[in-house]
Amino acid sequence: MVFILGVNFPERSLVKKSLENFFGIGPATSARLMARFYIHPTCKVAQLANKQVLDLTAALSEMRIENDLRRKVLDDIKRMRETGSNRGRRHALGLPVRGQRSQNNINTAIKLNRVDRKL
Amino acid sequence: MAWQRPSCIVQAMQSARRSAQPLLQSSSVSPSLSPIPTYLFARQRTSTRSYATEAKPEAKKHEPPKAQQAFAAAQEIDFSVFSNRPARIVPASPAYFSGNPKFTDGLLEMERLLAKYESLPTVVPSEAPQMAWLKLPQFREFLGEHVPARKFKVLLSTLQRLNQIDPALAPQEVRTKLNSFLRPGNPYADKPVPPVVDELGRARAKGKRKTSSAVVYLVEGEGEFMVNGKSLLETFPRIHDRESATWPLRCVQRLDKYNVWATVKGGGVTGQAEAITLAVARALLIHEPALKPLLRKAGVVTVDARQVERKKPGHRKARKSPQWVKR
Amino acid sequence: MVPSFCGTCLSRLRPTPRVLPSLTSAPRAAPFHTTAVLSSVLMKKKNRDAPAKKYRERTAFRMKKKRHVERPRPPPAGERQALRKRIVLSNPNALEVKDMKDLSADTMIEARLRGSVLGLPMPMLDQLRASGAFKPHQGWAIFRRPGTVMRSETLEMGKNFHEITSEGAGKGKVFKRIISGVRASGKTVHLLQAMTMAFAKKWVVFTVPEAQDLVIGHTTYTPISGTNPTLYAQADATAALLSRVINSNRDVLSGLTVSREHPSLRSTVKPGMKLTELATVGTTDRAIAWTVFQALWTELTATSPAPSLEKHFQPRPPILVTVDGLAHWMKNTEYRTPEFQPIHAHDLAFVNHFLSLLKPGFEKPSLPNGGALVYALSTSNKPSVYALDVALKQLEARQAGVDPKSPEFPQPDPYANADIRVIDALNVPKPKDAKEGALEVQTLGGLTREETRGYMEYFARSGIMREKVSEESVSEKWTLAAGGVIGELEKLGKRVRVAA
Repeated sequence: MVFILGVNFPERSLVKKSLENFFGIGPATSARLMARFYIHPTCKVAQLANKQVLDLTAALSEMRIENDLRRKVLDDIKRMRETGSNRGRRHALGLPVRGQRSQNNINTAIKLNRVDRKL
Repeated sequence: MAWQRPSCIVQAMQSARRSAQPLLQSSSVSPSLSPIPTYLFARQRTSTRSYATEAKPEAKKHEPPKAQQAFAAAQEIDFSVFSNRPARIVPASPAYFSGNPKFTDGLLEMERLLAKYESLPTVVPSEAPQMAWLKLPQFREFLGEHVPARKFKVLLSTLQRLNQIDPALAPQEVRTKLNSFLRPGNPYADKPVPPVVDELGRARAKGKRKTSSAVVYLVEGEGEFMVNGKSLLETFPRIHDRESATWPLRCVQRLDKYNVWATVKGGGVTGQAEAITLAVARALLIHEPALKPLLRKAGVVTVDARQVERKKPGHRKARKSPQWVKR
Repeated sequence: MVPSFCGTCLSRLRPTPRVLPSLTSAPRAAPFHTTAVLSSVLMKKKNRDAPAKKYRERTAFRMKKKRHVERPRPPPAGERQALRKRIVLSNPNALEVKDMKDLSADTMIEARLRGSVLGLPMPMLDQLRASGAFKPHQGWAIFRRPGTVMRSETLEMGKNFHEITSEGAGKGKVFKRIISGVRASGKTVHLLQAMTMAFAKKWVVFTVPEAQDLVIGHTTYTPISGTNPTLYAQADATAALLSRVINSNRDVLSGLTVSREHPSLRSTVKPGMKLTELATVGTTDRAIAWTVFQALWTELTATSPAPSLEKHFQPRPPILVTVDGLAHWMKNTEYRTPEFQPIHAHDLAFVNHFLSLLKPGFEKPSLPNGGALVYALSTSNKPSVYALDVALKQLEARQAGVDPKSPEFPQPDPYANADIRVIDALNVPKPKDAKEGALEVQTLGGLTREETRGYMEYFARSGIMREKVSEESVSEKWTLAAGGVIGELEKLGKRVRVAA
């Protein structure tokens, strides 16, 4: 078991997939992170050197991920709502934000576009 | 009603016979080399309708030239000639009202001949001389009459029966008449020249299967086999296809005696391989025609002309119907 | 008398039945009408199939409970891969071919044996296995023991190997080959033959059985400090190479000792140490594997002892280097730089080292003690690298004597964006040293008819082919195999054929 940013990962899991567990890190970001510390794409968590684990943890702690990112997203929506911009209004109404049609097929928008968006 | 008197009918028949006679004579004399039926031709030259009341050449002989006779008195009527004329206009041929008078006359003539020579020995149809009869459209155009196909068939069967008379015993008259029904030219004369090995020792042949077509050059060599400039292996990764492409050479143990250069296009892998098979077999026959029975037994000479049946509208495939539910 | 008709509705009255039906069987209508009641008891359809209900059982529809199925546990990690990569070298059911000779130092130069199948020496099989000479699907498992055909190319290589080892003008020569050829034409087996000959001649053999493994991002990589442009060391791959070298060349390497100082490995490596021990240092401590490999290479390519260390020096044997699947080393790898740029394969120190051997060495040959570089291309697992195709054409043209400045010399299409590093890597100038051969491309074609015959006879004598080997059947197979391509011949040979 290896701790990366306080999260425990099983040794057999891929580093790439482990990094993608964090909210705000997808395939592209995780590949870039790994390249930064010379970790090959198929590396498993067990194969990481101690220094690499520390480096990854340091790099992750500097990034805006997990709750920081969630808070930021909510703040952004809130700000848009308060300034009364179109996007803010659409969020408040639960309608598509980016100019999609709203006559039909807006179930995703109804589900997701809220001022207090669930993340 | 003059027609109803028997003497009148007799007169009409006589006049018809008289008008036909010179024509028959001329046809028998004319050279039979001409492919065009001469006796019919001669008739066509004359006006389409001839009447017995028209002035005959021998009748005109007695008349002096018109220019000199401008002011002469009317000639005395020669009653001896006149008395032979029918009193009314009578058609030259009794078939005048049949709709196809020329055709009917010709048919009657051939039937007359058949009746005359029916007793002569005949040969089987395959041994009879090959004759390219006039086709129906040609025949119609030639006669200028719309001959029904059914009647033309009757004529053809008569001609064929006459043609079956033993060629050694067939009278000249029959042969001449039959020749007049032949198409111009001799369609059976220009047979394709059998292919030969060219000056470089190559035999070229084509083959087809499904939608593929192959051209093969076969030369004597030591077993090289190239398809579309590539090796056999690159073209046909499957062993089975390679085997079928080389099969004609393999089955007669000539695989190491010839080199093959094939170009093949269209279709899929199997079609291409089997198109090559056929082409190689044909090319091999150019080199060694004596192998034909062996190759035929090996099944590589026969052309497989099957093609994929087209899909039809309203069907799922060529014949499969969509599923049908009562309600 | 009671009339037989009902007075109000005029319907005929039924006579009353004599025996009254039982009260339970039919319901009775209300007796306000004199018309007899028609029995309206409908026969209920009996559902015979339904099981009899138990007492107080519920009748509503019930979902079936999912039964838990006991599944066998998946095999442990690595077991399936091991099974897939398992190499079987013998088949006890196949007949033993009598008087089959071994590929040895004597037989490898005998032109008389051309076309016959020579067995690989049994004691050498472990060495060959360790060096990764066999691949899983080469068809060794159908014969009693592994054997290879002596084809003309093999004989020529045997002659070269013999020259390099024997005393004479050719001693210490280096010959460099890139093996190409159509699919299944025997390129990998050609490498196997080269290894066998090298082992027979007591050379040191370095093998890279899968060039692909280095570039697909499956092993660790670290930048080597102080290199410009940055090179990357692959510790795991290097350690694997070192272990291959140790296991396959144990006899030779244990007879050699470290004959110079290695400042970078001062703590672990001392002069006088056996070379096997030196290599083992690299396999145990993977972090320094690349440094150990460099030290080992320096030791093996030394021509003379370092001053004051003469007593530790023994003359070094020639070296054979084989690489299979060279094309993978000619493109960008799956590795990335910190800036997320792809790393070119030539920037990997491992790859760079073995590719630089193709170039003539500086001052002395790239392999100063002689030896051979045999790098094979692959056709079944081949990335398409345009620059490599051009470079190979250029090599062939140079081999044919075409002047590189002449217009006939093949040039890359200026619009095709050919990788210039690849073209440069194979653009090998003519070596100045007479001992160093020029880089050549050798294209393996098919076997000749005589070789085909020998090969087919081997099949027949092993009891695999149930056909008479005649001139005719051999030439048939030769043509079907597109001019004797050996892999296709094998397929034809082991096919069970229904008598035609």
